[in-house]
Amino acid sequence: MNTRRIPFRTLLRVETRKLFDTRGGKVISGVLVALAAGAVVGRGVVSGPELHTVAGTAGIVFGILLPVLAILTVTGEWSHRTALTTFTLEPRRGRVMAAKCLPPLVASVMACAFAMLVAVPVTAAVAAAQGVPADWRVAPPALAGWTATTVLLTAQGLALGTVLMNAPAAIVTCLSSTVIWSVVGRLGSAGEAAMEWLDLNTATIPLVNGDVTGADAARLAVSALAWIVLPMAAGMVRTMRREVD
Amino acid sequence: MIEFQRLSKRYSDVKALDDVSFIVPAGSVTGFLGPNGAGKSTAMRILAGLSRPTSGSATVLGRPYAELERPGYEVGTLLDASAQHPGRSGREVLTLGAMMLGLPRSRVDEVLELVGLTGKEGRRAVGGYSLGMRQRLGIGHALLGRPRALILDEPANGLDPQGIHWMRGLLRDLAGSGCAVLLSSHLLHEVEQVADRIVMIGRGRLLAQGTPAELGQGRGLEQTFLDLTAAADRSPA
Repeated sequence: MNTRRIPFRTLLRVETRKLFDTRGGKVISGVLVALAAGAVVGRGVVSGPELHTVAGTAGIVFGILLPVLAILTVTGEWSHRTALTTFTLEPRRGRVMAAKCLPPLVASVMACAFAMLVAVPVTAAVAAAQGVPADWRVAPPALAGWTATTVLLTAQGLALGTVLMNAPAAIVTCLSSTVIWSVVGRLGSAGEAAMEWLDLNTATIPLVNGDVTGADAARLAVSALAWIVLPMAAGMVRTMRREVD
Repeated sequence: MIEFQRLSKRYSDVKALDDVSFIVPAGSVTGFLGPNGAGKSTAMRILAGLSRPTSGSATVLGRPYAELERPGYEVGTLLDASAQHPGRSGREVLTLGAMMLGLPRSRVDEVLELVGLTGKEGRRAVGGYSLGMRQRLGIGHALLGRPRALILDEPANGLDPQGIHWMRGLLRDLAGSGCAVLLSSHLLHEVEQVADRIVMIGRGRLLAQGTPAELGQGRGLEQTFLDLTAAADRSPA
């Protein structure tokens, strides 16, 4: 009889499978792929054969849907009360949560690679169709920064989902933060400073551009602390302490 | 063996459990009886490591649940048959459990057959299951790892007479092979027919324990139950 602790890779396989084994999971992944591909193709046709611009358009889709997927993953056990079975099979809840958080982060990197893969033939096809030379220039720092931004926004979804333990609340918080910050940013110099230091979307702009100065890095660190590290830490404490019913 | 030792659980203003001690010996079915809100589910959730006691302890096979390395092999739990993702198929629920336990997929088929779910029913989403089918699925999930202890919270709810008959046979067989079975219910007659021992609680306090015959005292288990729970309700909490 195997009575050793469940290997972490097993938990990882189980949690990855849970992402796709329900209709909801399949629908959101399908929509994600279709919208990302559609965004790449559409931008290619309209803006011309510039690989970087074309691929980057998928980031708009990723920035919204990957955090939603992340939120659904970490809140699923509470929404459907399956925590009752999951945490009786693995009472070490931190391991289960870690296994839940990794797949969306990996999916974020893969999504960026996927957008690149789609963008290459689209760029070539658009260049051929429009009879103009394709622009294949992609700055590696910008590509890495763009991927990192997608990962950070997904991590924000994971953190908010983990601390709020409720999918609608976390999704609304995630989506409305963009709206709220654009209002705050217009409230004079104090509001502008707050947005620069605390809004993850604003703080990641230099990262996407591949041109991060020391001050940019500090702003990025502060906003990531506020929206990823602190809510995730509080969320893990809540998850460990929560009475499951 | 399952053991509760002086277990108490207090929520801000309510004593959900008050100094409850009893044992579920290996090779027996112990019926856990009490009116709604008596504290049965609270005790079982503490036993399964999902809730923390205010004082006292609960152990399975001599250890607190949270210390079991891979609990699915030691103890099977069904705490709420309705707590399932509605979009997942019954077979998928069992497959996830089998994966966590490192069991081959053939175990999923065995368990489906054991609990009387057909292949077609197994492929359907749990959202379309009757409560009885969910109970069968939940019992199957609990049995995946062939555990030596079982914690079942109201498993007879929603089962039809055939289902109840089936479950009774299953639990007797499991106890016969040395399993310690703790099953809660508010259905007195069902428990009376399957349990070797009965533990009655009311308002979080242990009211009585013994064999069905001892507790029936010649006037029937139901009368004893009604008298004891009425007395518990009258006394100050």
